[in-house]
Amino acid sequence: MSEYHGCELPEDLFYDLDYVWVRPEDDGTLTIGVTDPAQTMSGRLQKARIKKTGTHLDAGRHVATLESGKWAGGVPVPFAGEVIARNEALLEDPHLINIDPYKDAWIARVKPDDPQHALDNVKTGPDAMEALEAWIKRYGVQCMRCSD
Amino acid sequence: MADIDQIMQHDHERLDQLLGQSAHAVSTGAWQEAAHLLEVFRHGIVDGHMVVEESTLFPAFERNEGGDDHPLTALLRKGHRDLRIFFEEMAEAIHDQDAETFDDLLSTVQTILKQHDAKEETELYPYLAAALPDRGEAAGKRILACEAETPS
Repeated sequence: MSEYHGCELPEDLFYDLDYVWVRPEDDGTLTIGVTDPAQTMSGRLQKARIKKTGTHLDAGRHVATLESGKWAGGVPVPFAGEVIARNEALLEDPHLINIDPYKDAWIARVKPDDPQHALDNVKTGPDAMEALEAWIKRYGVQCMRCSD
Repeated sequence: MADIDQIMQHDHERLDQLLGQSAHAVSTGAWQEAAHLLEVFRHGIVDGHMVVEESTLFPAFERNEGGDDHPLTALLRKGHRDLRIFFEEMAEAIHDQDAETFDDLLSTVQTILKQHDAKEETELYPYLAAALPDRGEAAGKRILACEAETPS
């Protein structure tokens, strides 16, 4: 796990180098969430809407919409696919994203239309870490995790 | 001609009104009118306002501030990307005559626009006249031309 300006950046995940992380699962689906620096930028999240299971999304479309008192935005999927699961707990308590953005607060699982190319538009490893550190530096983010 | 900051701020107000008119049409079930008004709004904001900002205003601000990796314009460009997708989703909700989804999207879009516009009006527009070689006259004319072509 890398850390920069207090932001946790798991090295085994894939990133769109903006707000989104992607984790490949054993069954070929891809889990999506938002990064630690992104949740910090967003502020305490108060509302989450996540697309229903069965929804098909083109690449770049929003799988979820998040709102805090000071920010609102979409969570884009970096590949086309069908939502096969969503984290119902976030609908009740979006603030979980501020607490545990990489584990309990995953947002949705998506079955990609084209598994071989689903990760073409995301990065991982040292290149991703370098780009994310530049992102954090650009916005002057200092990550803080909420404990509850 | 008014100053560029005043022209851009006025365009925000005009576009807010167009979006409000589309939302009103949705609330009365006038789906065809809602679709038309949303397209007028989308054309004005995406093909007019955002194009002028991204092609002229943001680069001028970035040149003046010493680089194209400025956090303010990076955030504003991200806002534009999000908004373009939300506008497509709103058009789809109208096509599907799905008022609940439209209202959800409207709430999010209005929140984004409120914060986005406030940021532009306080942190970007006041500095444009000094950053643009013609003090923003050409960009202002493009925005006014877009306003003039909007059907009443």
